[in-house]
Amino acid sequence: MAARVVTVDRRSLRAKGGAFGARAFAKGLSVTWRHFSRNLMGWVRGTPTVATVMFPEEDVVKPAAFRGMPVLVQMDDGKERCVACGLCEWACPVDCISIDPAETPDPIERHPLRFDIDMGRCMYCGLCEEACPEEAIVMSDRVEISAFSRGGIVWNKEDLLVPQDQLARRLDWIRRSYDR
Amino acid sequence: MTERSGFKKPVKVVIDGREIVAEAGEMLLQVALDNGVEIPHYCYHPKLSIDGSCRMCQVKIEKAPKLAISCNTPVADGMVVDTKAGEVVEARKAVMELLLLNHPLDCPICDQAGECYLQDYSFGHGRSEARTTSPRRKGVKRYPIGPRVVFDQERCILCRRCVRFTHEISKTDELRVFGAGDRSRIATSQDRPLDNPYSINVADVCPVGALLSADFHHKRRVWFLEETETVCPTCSNGCNVKIGAFRNRIERLVPRRNDEVNDTWMCDHGRLNYAFVQDDTRLREPAIAGREPREPVPVAGPIDYTRDSDGREVRAAGPSVDEAIAAAAASLRAAVATYGENSVAVVLTPTLTNEETLLLARLVREELKTPHFALAVPLGLSDDFLIKPEKVANARGARDLGVGPGDGGKDLAGILAACASGEIKVLWVVGSDGLVAAAGLDAVEPAVANLEALLLQDTNRSALTDRATVLVPGCTWAEKDGSMTNHAGRVQRIRPALRPPAGLVADGEVFARLASALRGEATAPFEPRTAFAEVAKAVPSYVGLEWARLGSRGLAAGQGA
Repeated sequence: MAARVVTVDRRSLRAKGGAFGARAFAKGLSVTWRHFSRNLMGWVRGTPTVATVMFPEEDVVKPAAFRGMPVLVQMDDGKERCVACGLCEWACPVDCISIDPAETPDPIERHPLRFDIDMGRCMYCGLCEEACPEEAIVMSDRVEISAFSRGGIVWNKEDLLVPQDQLARRLDWIRRSYDR
Repeated sequence: MTERSGFKKPVKVVIDGREIVAEAGEMLLQVALDNGVEIPHYCYHPKLSIDGSCRMCQVKIEKAPKLAISCNTPVADGMVVDTKAGEVVEARKAVMELLLLNHPLDCPICDQAGECYLQDYSFGHGRSEARTTSPRRKGVKRYPIGPRVVFDQERCILCRRCVRFTHEISKTDELRVFGAGDRSRIATSQDRPLDNPYSINVADVCPVGALLSADFHHKRRVWFLEETETVCPTCSNGCNVKIGAFRNRIERLVPRRNDEVNDTWMCDHGRLNYAFVQDDTRLREPAIAGREPREPVPVAGPIDYTRDSDGREVRAAGPSVDEAIAAAAASLRAAVATYGENSVAVVLTPTLTNEETLLLARLVREELKTPHFALAVPLGLSDDFLIKPEKVANARGARDLGVGPGDGGKDLAGILAACASGEIKVLWVVGSDGLVAAAGLDAVEPAVANLEALLLQDTNRSALTDRATVLVPGCTWAEKDGSMTNHAGRVQRIRPALRPPAGLVADGEVFARLASALRGEATAPFEPRTAFAEVAKAVPSYVGLEWARLGSRGLAAGQGA
């Protein structure tokens, strides 16, 4: 195979690169020092300026419009608001929701006996929330779905229930944005 | 019902600019529906008398002083009808507003949602918002108006279809409208329950969610159901039904219209008789006497390997269907070789399709050559409407295909007596429930006690299951493809709605494999479509019937020519 030979002047490259590298190194270090000293001052003054939080011990407050994992709204009496009408199950583009309806003695008549969401499939589109006529399923600010098995990322009704006062901000937001 | 006596001459009407030829005396609404013109309606039902109470089907007729209800307007020559005129649209909107005035709008918890006329027409013809501010009228909700029907008074629009049904079809007159004006309500006289053999049909005729089937109540949204057009297996009437299935389970049966068989009705017993397909009595495993029953596989982990995707237990390999068939063939061959052909008898409960029955009949006549071949038909109560005395679907088909004793053969009682006396050594039973019901357990018990081998093909656990030497589980009607013949000789298709339990094959395939095991040579696998061509040749009155022409409503025997 015929090879093309290119002669490279390594001495000049090294000289150039060495000078550039020292400049870049100093620039980078100055950024580090600037942040370090600012954060140090913030820490000393007691007003932290760091954007990073100590996750998972600490968590950031997400905006109300944030779409995390869908959860079920739990009413103050401990029961779910869901009546198992199946509209979210129908609206879901990835078929991650499965519901088995059942009759209850309550005046509401109907509730989900089983309500499973396969969080491994969910794509956080929020169509379930938009389809829901009862404001019973909403997008939460939760995003962690770690589990030890595939079965563990299928959340059942008990996993999904969240007291409604914890969801007040999102419920308020959907009422405004969906013009309800 | 809507027929008017006298001569019928053709008349020409123009509906929405289209010229349509109809018969004089026909009602305008029916003519429009038959010709694909959609006119919204609630109270009109083609199989009930005309009420004209909902006012939804109003149309504009030229030269008429005001809008007319099309359900009760006979067509006349030269009539010019407009179903889309501005005043018609306004009238419909007003009717919708009136009907929805007190409607609870609880669609999310209403079983009718998805097949509700009120929902459909509200989108198509109603307003999007209510103008009322006064509170809605309250009524009783989920009231058990009968043992199998739930009533929700708030949803009722007083179309009186149910009242007419109980008056004209079931002829029991339980339901009536009580009160007047705003206080009108549907109720039963003196709180007598709505309890007749056809009561759930009121849930079908109800255009809204006021009357609902208690069995289907809050069970599944209708839009998730996969519907399969088939035939009811509970008696020999062969009512046309639709199976509504979800996740490989039957959720409900509903009748479908076939004027030759069941109009649009079916009995409650047939409608509710589907649990056997999926309950715990279902046989899922072949068995051979003397072999250990199978143990569950003790494998568990993140994924439960002890259960299949339908949640059923997966078991270790025991006798397969093929091994059970081989054991049955060996038992039949041994009996014929040792004691002669007369030592074998076959009893069939005619729940099989025509195609399967033909294979069985050929197997008995050509391979086993035994004359002892009997039909076990369980009998029960009947009426003069839909319920027939023979409580199996295909007794007529089995008789047409020549199932019965051959020369010198014994009938059912004779076979059982010969089993008890030891004359018959091997009894092959296809479907034990019919045998037990037709002959009685007292006659069956001593017969099976004295046998060398009881070969049993069945779908569900019965008194004979544990006595079987070889047990081959089969498929129910909901898992099979084929044809059945009703009591009047109408050949109708059944279609598979469900996947059979893992590893099981239809009875026709069992017969085909058994035939090849007995002959010692390979035979073609069972295929209903090609087998039907054989059926059509085997029965003189079926000659000319074609699989493709059976369609969804079937053909009467003799229609092939």
